[in-house]
Amino acid sequence: MDRKNHTPPKLAEKLLRQFLKPDFLEDVLGDLEENFYFVLRNRSSSVAWFTYWYQTFNYLRPFALKKSKSKTINQFTMLRHHVKVSWRTLLRQKVFSSIEIGGFAVGIAACILIALYIGHQVNYDRHYEHKDQIFRVVNQWSERGEVGYWSNVHGPLKEVLEDNIPEMEQVARIVLWSWGDAGENHLRKIESKYNRYEEGFFYADPELLNILEIPMVYGMQEHALSDPNSMVISRRKADQYFPNENPVGRRIVLNDNPETIYTIGGVMENFPATSHLQGDFILTLYGRKDGPGTSGWCCTNYNMYVKLVAQANRIAVEQKTVELRNSFVIERLREDGQSGLDDIQKYQSYYLQPVENIHLNPEEVGDDLSHGSVDLVWIFGFIAVIILLLACINFVNLATSKSLKRAKEVGLRKVVGSSQTSLIYQYLSESCVYSLLAILLGVFLAWSALPFFNQLAGASLSIPWLSVWFIPLLLISALLIGVLSGIYPAFYLSRFRPIEALKGQADGGARNSLLRSGMVVFQFTATVILIIGALVTHQQFQFLMNKSLGYEKDQVINILGINTMEGSMREALKEELLKLSMVESASLSDYLPVEGSFVQNRSFWIADRRQLDNGFEAARWAVDEDYITTMKMKISQGRNFISGSADDSSIIINESMVRELGLEEPVGTRIVDMFDLEYHIVGVVKDFYFESLYQNVRPLAMVLGKGRTTLSVKINSPDIQATMASIGEVWEKFNTHQAIRYSFMDQRFEKMYEGLQQAKTIFLLFAMLSILVACLGLFALSIYMVEQRGKEISVRKVLGASMGRIFKLLTFDFVKLVLIAIVLAVPVAWYFMDYFLSDMVNRIELSWQVFAFGGVVAIVIAVGTISFESIKAAIINPAKKLRSE
Amino acid sequence: MKETKLGEFEEVILLLVGILKEKAYAFRITEEFKTQTGRGSSIGSVHSTLERLIEKGFLTSEMGKPSAERGGRRKRIYFLTADGQKALQVSKEFRISLWNQLPEFSVNQLSFG
Repeated sequence: MDRKNHTPPKLAEKLLRQFLKPDFLEDVLGDLEENFYFVLRNRSSSVAWFTYWYQTFNYLRPFALKKSKSKTINQFTMLRHHVKVSWRTLLRQKVFSSIEIGGFAVGIAACILIALYIGHQVNYDRHYEHKDQIFRVVNQWSERGEVGYWSNVHGPLKEVLEDNIPEMEQVARIVLWSWGDAGENHLRKIESKYNRYEEGFFYADPELLNILEIPMVYGMQEHALSDPNSMVISRRKADQYFPNENPVGRRIVLNDNPETIYTIGGVMENFPATSHLQGDFILTLYGRKDGPGTSGWCCTNYNMYVKLVAQANRIAVEQKTVELRNSFVIERLREDGQSGLDDIQKYQSYYLQPVENIHLNPEEVGDDLSHGSVDLVWIFGFIAVIILLLACINFVNLATSKSLKRAKEVGLRKVVGSSQTSLIYQYLSESCVYSLLAILLGVFLAWSALPFFNQLAGASLSIPWLSVWFIPLLLISALLIGVLSGIYPAFYLSRFRPIEALKGQADGGARNSLLRSGMVVFQFTATVILIIGALVTHQQFQFLMNKSLGYEKDQVINILGINTMEGSMREALKEELLKLSMVESASLSDYLPVEGSFVQNRSFWIADRRQLDNGFEAARWAVDEDYITTMKMKISQGRNFISGSADDSSIIINESMVRELGLEEPVGTRIVDMFDLEYHIVGVVKDFYFESLYQNVRPLAMVLGKGRTTLSVKINSPDIQATMASIGEVWEKFNTHQAIRYSFMDQRFEKMYEGLQQAKTIFLLFAMLSILVACLGLFALSIYMVEQRGKEISVRKVLGASMGRIFKLLTFDFVKLVLIAIVLAVPVAWYFMDYFLSDMVNRIELSWQVFAFGGVVAIVIAVGTISFESIKAAIINPAKKLRSE
Repeated sequence: MKETKLGEFEEVILLLVGILKEKAYAFRITEEFKTQTGRGSSIGSVHSTLERLIEKGFLTSEMGKPSAERGGRRKRIYFLTADGQKALQVSKEFRISLWNQLPEFSVNQLSFG
């Protein structure tokens, strides 16, 4: 666009000259130019420029177009002819055509699904009006060029930021981890007696509604959370608990606890599926007396969101936070008596993470949210391209291998005067017809596979039929894929020389067969890589599931939600359950070695060394005296807690913590935590995996305490149903107004590795798809080859070749290609799978058997595919083939 | 036989041609249409309507004088034909007769300038 010249666009004028009736040319050009200067006077030059183009396109009307000469009519007729010929070719060779189209369709279906998935993943948190102003404040630690982030910050930081950084319009803290009433609860309306279990509670400052622009159904963003003990619930929960009424002002009791009565201050819209933050109940942090919202500079318990003023510069604001850290935060931490302040001064600062980044989390901020995986997006996209490529290759392969059959057609067309250009047009339109059909079929396939895919990827996608861009996009891609995959066959076929073609001498030539072989090699390389990927992820998954964990996860039932009962009743329930014959032991503790249970971390030191050492963080669990026996953990030194004894200040630590403390004789040593509580070590428990198997076991300390929410029961009966029935009966005696809720620990353990399981299924699925596509291609090629060599085979048979010889002759060429593919695939697969496993602590070693197995599978499949046609060729009566000569 | 009915858009364009007299060329008509009705339209669509009206025999066109702001190009000026004027007349009378049949709005209570 030429903004300086202020003249109408030359290109548009040229276009008008091209298509406009000569009669109209002068006055139309005049009108448009006059309009251009008219717009230019009132608006900017780019608007005028745009208007001129707009007006130009609006002249694309039948009345204004040049009278079509015979040429255009002819072209249209030719196009119709091309389509007709394509259709006839398609019908004449049904197997070939259906393989071409079917293979294409599979590739396209895979692409559509994956595009939907990727589209969903990258569309998170784009719906905020001021999304450029919304950030999450996270910590940044950069030491020797390595940068790490984590999301937990100090509570009082909110006020510090509000008071000192004017660019921060609003600041809100939220609590997502299970602290106070965050997480899951039993709730009832105050007038009701029956408790219902609900998930999705979190705490937030009143400003959050404003910052995240959460639309309200009832109540105001400004006031909904601004009274002490107020809460906001989602529309779906409002519809469930208070159908057809405005619930603002109604009161809700959590966990039967008279201390935790909340008043509904508003109803918000459900969080959209593309929001990183999910939940149905927001509890206010405002005006709390204890627990969430009140902790000081001791602990980092909050995630923090800010909204900057418009046009604020993020980097400048971050710079201000660094100044604040130096002048203010460090001072507070020193008053709190914390160590390691020099390191904080040197390495730690704050980072503002844009809200759109939170879901895919490219910075890898450590937090409690569930994230999409950038890796998965890449892997998916990569696989989609590969499968589409395989399908395109099939098309090219089949089209060129059909070429001999069509050589006569080309020859004849050339003889009657067809130019090479028009032949190219013909074959391109043919491939476009094929790809259009394939796209229709592909959309249908994608549509029918969507429910399965949703389950696999844990998403809720739908095909956007009604989007403005959907249908045009499909048509454009049909054309594009059609042209891309048709271009080689088109040029190749149209080049035949008529005389040779008609004599039947046109020959694929060595170059062509090399290309075809190359494509088969490529297809099988991709297939072998995917097969190996599926095998390795499967092995890794099995390895994790069978790994000895240091405790027994089987036959342990966690009875949940007992926090609505009195403490003494919880004890009584435990005693009562122990009377059942199938219950081996039971333990009251909220801390479980699986995901989704309580977490608490504290820093520890050897007593008297608090001022000298830096200390380290360890998980701190409160368990009762039956916990270690119930979970079948092993005590390696010292003893377990003894019931009724004065074990209040006793502590049991794991072996990893012993190493961290550097103790030779741990039993009897005294240690202190960050709140200056002193313990003496009575026992050491063998390391067990209480977090992810992808990491090493962290230090862990257990103290004596009673769980409030969870009762774990070890059972010794294989009859789960009967056991659950008797446990249910006992529960009924204690708790009539709340349904029993329980989980099996082994299932919760497996759930931790859902990601890996998904990866396994995805690999398997795509490996199968690529096998399918590659096999279709190979199958069609083998049909072609047998047809071509039919006479040769017959002559050989007449001369006495055995069936075995002929079979070997026909398959060997292809097997050679597959062998080459395997040789190429193995190093690539090894590299990728090693990378995939590299950040897991507990990983399998890649064994040669896996690769060998992958290769054998590929060969078996290839030979199986080819042998169908080869055997047919080998057993046919040679007379039949030779007779027609 | 040629279609000689008037569509709403065609009728407005025809009226504008009558109003603008010797200034009735595609760009001017489009601008006038915009100011009078508040609706936008592209020059191309107005032009195509004008040509259709010529086919129906309601308009004729003639090349006018060149002017500088259009790069020295001439304008195509449109004129109402007798048929065109008659068609407008018929259309107006038809409307009035319809209005008269509407009881609350008979022509006696409303004045059409």
